[in-house]
Amino acid sequence: MAEMWISMGPQHPMTHGLWTLKVKVDGETVVDTEPDLGYIHRGVEKICEARDFTQITTYCDRLCYASANTWSHAYIYAAEDLLEVEVPERAEYIRMVAIELQRIASHLMWLGAYCPDVGNLTGMVWCLREREMMMDLLQELGGSRMHYNFPRVGGVKRDLPIGFALRCRAKLKLFLERIQEYEAILDESTIFLVRTQGVGYAKAEEMINHGVSGPNVRAAGHNYDVRWAHPYSVYDELDWEPSVERPSIKGSDCYDRYRVRVEEMRQSALMILDGLDKMPGGADTHYQSGDPAIIGKAPARAAEGQTGFHHFEDSRGESMFYLAGGGEERGKHPYRVSIRSPMFITIPYAAKCMIGYKIADIPAIMGSFDPCIGETDR
Amino acid sequence: MGNEVSAKQILSAAEDIVKDIADFGDSVNAEVRNHTGGRRKNPYVFIEVEASQWRELALWLKKSKQVDYCSMITGIHWPEKADAAWQVVVHLLRTGVSNPSVVDKRVHEIKVDIDALSGNSIPMEFEISMSIPDTREPSVPSVADIWVGADWNEKETWDLVGINFDGHVGMRRVLLPHDSPTGYHPLQKQHKLRYHDFNEMYDDPQGFGRKPEDSGRVK
Repeated sequence: MAEMWISMGPQHPMTHGLWTLKVKVDGETVVDTEPDLGYIHRGVEKICEARDFTQITTYCDRLCYASANTWSHAYIYAAEDLLEVEVPERAEYIRMVAIELQRIASHLMWLGAYCPDVGNLTGMVWCLREREMMMDLLQELGGSRMHYNFPRVGGVKRDLPIGFALRCRAKLKLFLERIQEYEAILDESTIFLVRTQGVGYAKAEEMINHGVSGPNVRAAGHNYDVRWAHPYSVYDELDWEPSVERPSIKGSDCYDRYRVRVEEMRQSALMILDGLDKMPGGADTHYQSGDPAIIGKAPARAAEGQTGFHHFEDSRGESMFYLAGGGEERGKHPYRVSIRSPMFITIPYAAKCMIGYKIADIPAIMGSFDPCIGETDR
Repeated sequence: MGNEVSAKQILSAAEDIVKDIADFGDSVNAEVRNHTGGRRKNPYVFIEVEASQWRELALWLKKSKQVDYCSMITGIHWPEKADAAWQVVVHLLRTGVSNPSVVDKRVHEIKVDIDALSGNSIPMEFEISMSIPDTREPSVPSVADIWVGADWNEKETWDLVGINFDGHVGMRRVLLPHDSPTGYHPLQKQHKLRYHDFNEMYDDPQGFGRKPEDSGRVK
């Protein structure tokens, strides 16, 4: 049969954002793909060269609209590496709570978007219902619903509000029960299983060589996680273990990638509950903003030739920032900000992963890698 | 608790790598550095290498040290430095990820026992820096065939910074529009942002007082 190229996107339910997937098809079978990115390139790296270290946080929040806190924290750890800042332990615990709440919210957004992709509309409504609880908690911390601008170089903007720990514990306990509802509705739905199982096989070693990381690799049977391999924050003091899924011999399919994210939400919830118990000073205490217990002293300028980088476990894989300091002359701006976006690297791999499957499998495969275009295009 | 790689493990592995790199001679300088921020100041391996030696070093890292993951490639433009006007910084990770084994037709997922990690299986961060003297056509060898993950990183570095990668197949614009003018790479420092190098954004937040320095120039 004759082969032909078709364009999926930039406006297409499969894309989860603005980008184009060019697909070469032979009948119904995909024989080649070519992703075309850059539709919403905003030049964040260039803009950051003219902002000081606190102002950059706001831009990093907007890198991913579903996972703002993980991105601003990924930046802040690199900035602290550049500026040589000590962070109070209580601030690290508060950050961990913010990051893990955001990870749950991000995975819920993913599952909420993925369910309708594979024909399960109820799942979307349920996921967004629980995401609302996480958004409420994050709003209490950061003050807004999506872009929190929460971390500061050296600590956090605000301490936990009074009563936060109580509400957080109650909501997470409810959430841990509700996860079982997703499993009930999805794991026993024939449509969901038929569309995700045996589709989009990917192997762990191949993914690592292609630069894919995070939940996608853990779904393929290896529990590699930046949080234990290159530990930062207080993850070494918490009781948790990285989620990992048992794949099939051919590798992980879309179903494994769904399972590993559900397990990861559970681990994140347990991590927060554990962190609230272990928080130095107690989770019910409230310090005023600017108190040395929640924010340390930070210089505004980086010395000439100084650099900082930090590998960070984002909800979509390993993200990192590389910052080069500008020295006294250039003032308090970084000389160069470089952002590693996990999805920028993963989307080309996911596109390769589809080759050999049918056109109807494309939304299921693409969705299972959790694409986010805000961070991809920067 | 106790399920994270300790700084001691990382340090001993990093020192081993630095010792082995000494065989490369004077053109490759390696040292163990420490992160300087946060609670844990983990060691990592910093390597300075000449661009001509980069591929050889990359192959060696992949083969003998099992460095399996290319995290990021950054290009930096330093117009004031004549002998190092362009810099390429490569961040690599050793993840130790392998495919799960199959026993009795059953796949067994891998849960790493962190205390048992040793030698080449200890996760490690690498920062590799290459400097290129002032030239209109900077380039370094491509490593996209060694780590496929470097492919799109190199595309992005060429697209935004204008550093070329010799041997890279299929170089094209990825973030900028396909019809951007040849030679237009916005992260080069001659392209100024409004407020660049100025603190005047506090005095003139709307920017009515001045125009960007490259106004009127063809983009």
